[in-house]
Amino acid sequence: MTDRIRPADAAACARAVAESAAASLSLRIRGAGTKDYLGEVLPVDAVLDTTALAGIVAHVPADLTVTVAAGTRFADMRAALARAGQFLPLDPPHADAATIGGIVAADSNGFSRSRYGGVRDLLIGTTTVLGDGTVARSGGRVVKNVAGYDLNKLFVGSLGTLGVLVECTFKVLPRPPVSSGAHAQFARSAEAFAAADAIVRTSARPAALAISGGPGGAWELLLQADGDAAPVERTLELFSRSARAHGASAQRHEGVPAVLATLNDVSARGDGTVVRAALPLAAQPAFASSAARLEGFTQFVADAASGIVRVVLRADDAVVLGGADALLAAARVCGGSARIERRPESLRARLRAWGDAEPAGLFLMRRLKEAFDPRGILEPGRSAAG
Amino acid sequence: MTVRAGLRGAPLVSALIALLGTDKVLGTREDLLVYEFDGAVDTATPDAVVLPNDTADVAKLSRFCHQHDVPIVPRGAGTGLSGGAIPVEGGVVVSFARMSRILEIDVPNMRAVVQPGLVNLHLSTAAAPHGLYFVPDPSSQKACTIGGNVAENSGGPHTLAYGVTTNHVTGLELVLSDGSVVRLGGKAVEYEGYDLIGAFVGSEGTLGIVTEITVRLTPLPEDKRTILAAFPTIDGASETVSAIIGAGIVPSAIELMDQLATEAVEAAVGAGYPLDAGGILLMEVDGLRDGLDEAATRIEEICRANGATTLRRAATSLERDRLWAGRKGAFAAMGRLAPAYYVQDGVIPRTRLPEVLRTVREVAQRHGVRIANVFHAGDGNLHPLILFADESELEGVKEAGLEILEACVAAGGSITGEHGVGMEKNCFMPLQFTADDLATMGRVKSAFDPAGLANPGKIFPTPGRCREFQLAARR
Repeated sequence: MTDRIRPADAAACARAVAESAAASLSLRIRGAGTKDYLGEVLPVDAVLDTTALAGIVAHVPADLTVTVAAGTRFADMRAALARAGQFLPLDPPHADAATIGGIVAADSNGFSRSRYGGVRDLLIGTTTVLGDGTVARSGGRVVKNVAGYDLNKLFVGSLGTLGVLVECTFKVLPRPPVSSGAHAQFARSAEAFAAADAIVRTSARPAALAISGGPGGAWELLLQADGDAAPVERTLELFSRSARAHGASAQRHEGVPAVLATLNDVSARGDGTVVRAALPLAAQPAFASSAARLEGFTQFVADAASGIVRVVLRADDAVVLGGADALLAAARVCGGSARIERRPESLRARLRAWGDAEPAGLFLMRRLKEAFDPRGILEPGRSAAG
Repeated sequence: MTVRAGLRGAPLVSALIALLGTDKVLGTREDLLVYEFDGAVDTATPDAVVLPNDTADVAKLSRFCHQHDVPIVPRGAGTGLSGGAIPVEGGVVVSFARMSRILEIDVPNMRAVVQPGLVNLHLSTAAAPHGLYFVPDPSSQKACTIGGNVAENSGGPHTLAYGVTTNHVTGLELVLSDGSVVRLGGKAVEYEGYDLIGAFVGSEGTLGIVTEITVRLTPLPEDKRTILAAFPTIDGASETVSAIIGAGIVPSAIELMDQLATEAVEAAVGAGYPLDAGGILLMEVDGLRDGLDEAATRIEEICRANGATTLRRAATSLERDRLWAGRKGAFAAMGRLAPAYYVQDGVIPRTRLPEVLRTVREVAQRHGVRIANVFHAGDGNLHPLILFADESELEGVKEAGLEILEACVAAGGSITGEHGVGMEKNCFMPLQFTADDLATMGRVKSAFDPAGLANPGKIFPTPGRCREFQLAARR
């Protein structure tokens, strides 16, 4: 059985990591434990539980920033900001349980990224414990800051391999006065993407533009618009016109946020294999039709405004293996990248989380890992960079 | 100045000519003098200047410099405001004047691939027929290069709503100081592994040289409303900034100018700013045209409630351009007030604006200098312009600048919002960061540039130059 360490503050966390490093004990960094499926999860000696590092550290509403301890649940921060009429414009998977540190470490974005930016764009300051117990701060609590290197970016998506996040500062925004949704059904994925593309090329900047499809069925395009009443209304009009131009009819749909939350959690549900790709925008339609032709194709979800695509495959292991390999290759060929976000236990050994291709600049990533975690104790092997 | 043991002076110039050819190397005294300064106040003369044609030239040069222990300092248009392009430890300055092309405008993917020497504004001009533009718009955008923007993580007036350079770069080609070429990212929003692009943007040439950049292009706003509001006092103007944000409105730009700055701008540009105001705000909302008038009216109401004496909304694009010409020409207009200026770049939480601006006034009085303020108020990014006449005043002027930065850090802010640390503020980094924080940045530096040849003497406090700056004594 693995040990569990639950530090109550940054200093205790630094001590615990330094002690683990001295003893060469490897650590899993875990908040709410919602994303244990991500990356190459290898056995470790102990779990460092971040949930005692919790609470809002600072929030001055008129500064539009918030500083929170990394073990704070996203939902708790969301509630605190809402009381001040504000929000952190992230809509991550597992939004009800996930912690801030986990969201940053996993670079958990949702559909709002195109309008508001992703984790990397909203995170402006971090305090982190490196693998040797050093406490390092980067950025700060002001929205604009170029003093020194932007280390925040390195921790986003590092899956705990470079350091333990103990505190994070974000830009926040006033809650939009109006938020409205609409959807339209298309016979073919290409039409849904064409309709989405027409919106992407305007300055409407919807809060979400998602495409969802399955075998044999229709392809649904969903839009959520945030802002003042007049631009929201106009965005919905643009959406109707674009849907019509591509052979569909749009309907207002106040349930779009709920549908988006379900689509966002496609990897959270725990069955099937999920291939997640980041693609150049214009590569999405071809990728979608390749995916739809695969044996075992179960579900397709795209953030059409950002080029983030998820494909769920469900079939015999051998069939899934073939399909996943084809999708990983298709993403690379069109200038994007892809990974296996989730796979069943039976495929864990045969289907690598990061595929077979090395990320560009891997030698630099390895040097950074070595520099930040000299004993290699933090989440060994979990990320694409080691 | 630290002098390294490597190849320098005339032998270096001859070796570079042998390596790259005469047309790519400058080495005479009069040629080199042109490269001893940038937009800031410090100077140092390079041993040689190289003008590469392509990435292969940069790689060849870097390998050579690595072999011969020669520092290498990239330079775009030389508009930088922290001495980033100054070869403080000698060596080679690499000018990107000949690598200034747009390689591709990829309309379907909304990306552009450009060379580092491309002038910022040229990209938006070229993208405009496709309904797209490049968001970061530093005031120097008619001259500054995208390579320089990447090095400094440049901002500009419109970054309040749309982000700074780092939010708009998705791909980079780098040449490391050992000559290796690394291509990172591309046209998708993210790639696997650590975000090396995010770490590189804003590294001021200290991690390597960028030779190709893939940037995001953004749909042009359908329309804009630009509002000028004049207030009797600068406090009135700065308190209005928080009132607007507090009302839940985030305009695409909120710029503030004090009376001294307005006076200079009017003399130089004639933007139509009222000369009797203690502070003016220049604000813009943009996006779909629907609702823009309502948003502008709400902003005007808040300005009025906070004591605005004049309110003007640009009725035509010509009027809007004129209002912006005043703001963007403000630094250059300082010549109307004094022969020279030293601009600072501190950032504070925006609610602390009135208080820190008062401190700036006290600093000016204490040092007997005039300070004009022109800045990105929405971001809390101050640009106090300390006016002076000649070099003899420079030490006192720098001391005044430092006191302003100390006030910014004390208010919970930063010593630089967009101009960079460079060689101007590297000694001040300990004001904002602990030794452990700086050592952690040093680990990143060593991972990219183990030999320490990439733009040495920048960002990190150097024992030689920073000795006089006794942090402990100041505290």
